[in-house]
Amino acid sequence: MSLEKPQDEQSNAVVAKPTTGEELAELLGDLAIGRDDHMNAPGFVIRPTDVQETLFRLRDDAGFDHLSNVTAEEREDRYETIYHLTSYDDRTREVSVVVPTTKDDPRSQSANPVFRTADWHEREAYDLIGIEYDDHPDLRRILLPDTWQGHPLSKDFDQRRPQVVTLKEWANPLADDHRDSEGETMYINIGPHHPATHGVLHVRTVLDGEQVADVDPDIGYLHRCEEQMCQTKTYRHQIMPYPDRWDYGSAGLLNEWAYARAAEDLNDIDVPEYAQIIRTMGAELCRIASHMLAVGTFALDVYGDFTAIFMYAMRDREIIQNILEDLTGQRMMFNYFRLGGVVWDLPEPREEFFEKIRDFLDDLPGTLEEYHDLISGNEILQLRTIDTGVLPPEVAKSYGATGPVARASGIDYDLRRDDPYGYYDELDWDVITDDGCDNYSRLLCRMREVEESAKIISQCVDLLEDWPEEERTIQSNVPRTLRPEDDTEIYRAVEGAKGELGIYIRADGTDKPGRFKIRSPCFSNLQTLPEISNGEYLPDMIASLGSLDIILGEVDR
Amino acid sequence: MIGLLKSMATTMKHALDGETFTVEYPDVAPEVSPRFRGVHKFSQERCIWCRQCENVCPNDTIQIVQDDQRNGEQYNLHIGQCIYCRLCEEVCPVDAILLTQNFEFTADTKDEFVYNKEQLKNVPWYKDIDPLNSREPDRDAWIGEGDGEVDYQ
Amino acid sequence: MIPLQSETPLPDTIANLLGLSGLLGTIVGALLGAFLIANIVLLQTAVAGPWAKRKITAAFTDRISVNRVGPFGLLTIVVDAVRLLSKELVIPDGVDRPAYDLGPLFIPFSAILGFAVIPMGNGIHLADPETGLVFAFAAASMASLGIMMMGYGSDNKYSLLGGLRAIAANIAYEIPLVVTGASVVLFTGTLRMSEIVAVQAEPLLTVAGVTIPQWFAFVNPFAFVLFVIANLAEVGRNPFDIPEAPTEIVAGYQTEYSSVYFVLIYLGEFVHIFLGGAIAATLFLGGPAGPILPGFVWFLIKIWGFYFFTQWARSAIPRLRVDQFLDIGWKGMLVLSFANLVLTAIIVGVIA
Repeated sequence: MSLEKPQDEQSNAVVAKPTTGEELAELLGDLAIGRDDHMNAPGFVIRPTDVQETLFRLRDDAGFDHLSNVTAEEREDRYETIYHLTSYDDRTREVSVVVPTTKDDPRSQSANPVFRTADWHEREAYDLIGIEYDDHPDLRRILLPDTWQGHPLSKDFDQRRPQVVTLKEWANPLADDHRDSEGETMYINIGPHHPATHGVLHVRTVLDGEQVADVDPDIGYLHRCEEQMCQTKTYRHQIMPYPDRWDYGSAGLLNEWAYARAAEDLNDIDVPEYAQIIRTMGAELCRIASHMLAVGTFALDVYGDFTAIFMYAMRDREIIQNILEDLTGQRMMFNYFRLGGVVWDLPEPREEFFEKIRDFLDDLPGTLEEYHDLISGNEILQLRTIDTGVLPPEVAKSYGATGPVARASGIDYDLRRDDPYGYYDELDWDVITDDGCDNYSRLLCRMREVEESAKIISQCVDLLEDWPEEERTIQSNVPRTLRPEDDTEIYRAVEGAKGELGIYIRADGTDKPGRFKIRSPCFSNLQTLPEISNGEYLPDMIASLGSLDIILGEVDR
Repeated sequence: MIGLLKSMATTMKHALDGETFTVEYPDVAPEVSPRFRGVHKFSQERCIWCRQCENVCPNDTIQIVQDDQRNGEQYNLHIGQCIYCRLCEEVCPVDAILLTQNFEFTADTKDEFVYNKEQLKNVPWYKDIDPLNSREPDRDAWIGEGDGEVDYQ
Repeated sequence: MIPLQSETPLPDTIANLLGLSGLLGTIVGALLGAFLIANIVLLQTAVAGPWAKRKITAAFTDRISVNRVGPFGLLTIVVDAVRLLSKELVIPDGVDRPAYDLGPLFIPFSAILGFAVIPMGNGIHLADPETGLVFAFAAASMASLGIMMMGYGSDNKYSLLGGLRAIAANIAYEIPLVVTGASVVLFTGTLRMSEIVAVQAEPLLTVAGVTIPQWFAFVNPFAFVLFVIANLAEVGRNPFDIPEAPTEIVAGYQTEYSSVYFVLIYLGEFVHIFLGGAIAATLFLGGPAGPILPGFVWFLIKIWGFYFFTQWARSAIPRLRVDQFLDIGWKGMLVLSFANLVLTAIIVGVIA
């Protein structure tokens, strides 16, 4: 299997690869010591010392080149790390690798040499659960402060115990090895409050002159225990308001869909077709709003002031927010989806609502043309962004980058098409990719995705308009209390605004999830920052950070 | 260079057409959609003290105190803690709690945001609009089948 | 011996009006004249900083901006002045005291000093030394010293980076600026501002009864464009605002300043923009010359025109990266400005 494999031969190649549980069991052979199938994928239990060998085999021989998520949890008798693997070529192929470790010595091998994205995921597992990973290059806390005592998601953690967080000065990690006759490095803290970090991100940066010698994003300032909160809420209604607050850059409905999809599949709930179309339309409106914000703030990072392009982008986002307010009743924190449908039908009078959306869609090409005049056609912006922040496709895959970040590196991966949900597979639209791999491609990619989303919305509006009145079912009949069977596990993802937004839920037989894990696209995308900005100039590091389009609420959860 | 000039022409075009999108907020009350969810309004006359809203509230915003005959005594709602998800309105069988379109509330301290039933009753309608009609409350979902069917006392 | 200074219109006029003569007349006239000039300049800045900047930016971004106090929000200027001055002056530990305090003073003073030799029309011209143009450039570039003091004295790495960037920018763009200015001097044969203006008053050509004066912007538009671009860099405006670069190094050299010091820096920057505009107007746009309206009004229109241009550029042009900025300065502007100088010299030589 070569990397330069042409697209059209892909389907043939995929067929030959082991996909079903039996085929994979054969491939893994003695490595698998048991089966622990999940609802979405076959699961294999392996020994903690075989992690790298298993993952290497799955990656190289079976084409599972995307470590989507790493979930860690503490069970009654063991600790568990679950590696959710899938493939960039065919998202429907999934496999879970379950690594149990003992209670007294929770220690397993790190997946870091196989997938670089495991770095942060395992740090998070260590931080919150307390599993230690051998061979991990840098096993520090990631979300909580270094001085934190205990692991908050482990069962014996005492919530009431006071935490003493001391302040100390960060040290320059390169101070010693760069101090020579040529000059010295300078350590600066970019953030947690800095005009360009898009929230409370702290980037520990070492500069060599104006060039970036070392970057270490320090996250966790916005950690709000979203996973733990969801574990204390009921499936039926109470979890749904919270996804709005993960990626709060107007991507609310996309996030809600992530939870809705996982929970609906877990509880075997059907969604009426009509509701699916409304969901699709709302989600794409959110995507446009989110991309507008991304384009505007990226321009802000490059231009430097509250320039025209930022304000224009915000103004156009405002129109979408008005439409969404009419539809959902809120401008950002929608809580519009319900398990089995949506809460409200389209607002009356429907014609007026359709008219509003159509007006917006009619103006959109002109608006985008103006954006192109202002930013992408601007020579100085091109000078600033082309060939800066380069993220080669192999690196992007290794880091688990998804969404526009991956697609701008030429990775043809979009869950809306590759793992269809909602009404997307019935509609006519394209996945945008760009081979530039740099900041400029990421910008262009977002702007062209806006056009595709507009295509989807306009088809949805046509469908909704002609939908017979008596068949407008917005919710299926869902039991008032949902109690999925004990020990059912599911990992489901949707294409959020920033990429693959996945939810892992383990049911424990009650009406609340036993483990709720969010796979945030921003978390993985942000991990590529050192890769794309080392050796570049400081302004390019800022621009790259802007082009990754992270929302700290989703990174820290 | 052409691109730079085009950029400058674009902004100049906007400067000259004189259109603005600023909302002159305190002077001009903005249009708010009928479905908009703002501060709650509570009607003690309608309330049957079934405590469904208290149960469904995701973050313990509503506190209800009853005497031993299950007669309602207090109904407290922390509008500063509320996440405006509207589940309480959705679950209420008698429309006793409604979210008005009123988005304006201020206080000096967090504690003043804890509204009791009198304060909740006195929350004004935004622009005198009672949004109940446009809400088309669909409660089918709440009386579905299965465990824990609706129990209004 | 060449007299250092010829006639000094404004101080003399004031002295004559007051009926004073001799040393006393010179001193009183000079002081009052300087007071008047400084106030004219500061008035422009007061309008430009808190009000015009917001209004212009708002126009480009489809907003209304300040309109709540006074007609068109003009009294915002007063409100803002009070607000800024009443803020707490935070002086961080570990700053290098004399440098930290002197830096903010340097910026406005150096820029105002430059206005001493600018002919503003209607006899408003404080001093007209033989070396007028050189004095104006020298005064303007003194601001760099202040910026360096601030960057170094603030004990902040962002400030240090900003200070270093400012110095690099100044060196890179001062040379093209002065060299382009020198190409005008080749035409005029003098550095005296009043004579540079006088030369430009002569007619270039007459089209359909309308006489176009010999403004150097018409004579040598290429030099004018070069000068304006170098001027943008000199005053640190987009796309050359790298010394401040809010998204990269927070606010550069002014990161650690608040309250009065901040006002001084802010003020100084605006005076600097106006000085840049005034030099450009004097060298290339005939100084205060213009039809119908009095000269002083024309002068104001010209410097406000330049100010408007900086804000326009700010709305639409991204900031360059620091290395690209220096590349353009050293490899582009410098070469072009010398080419322009040589070409002008040849042309002037041929004509003469």
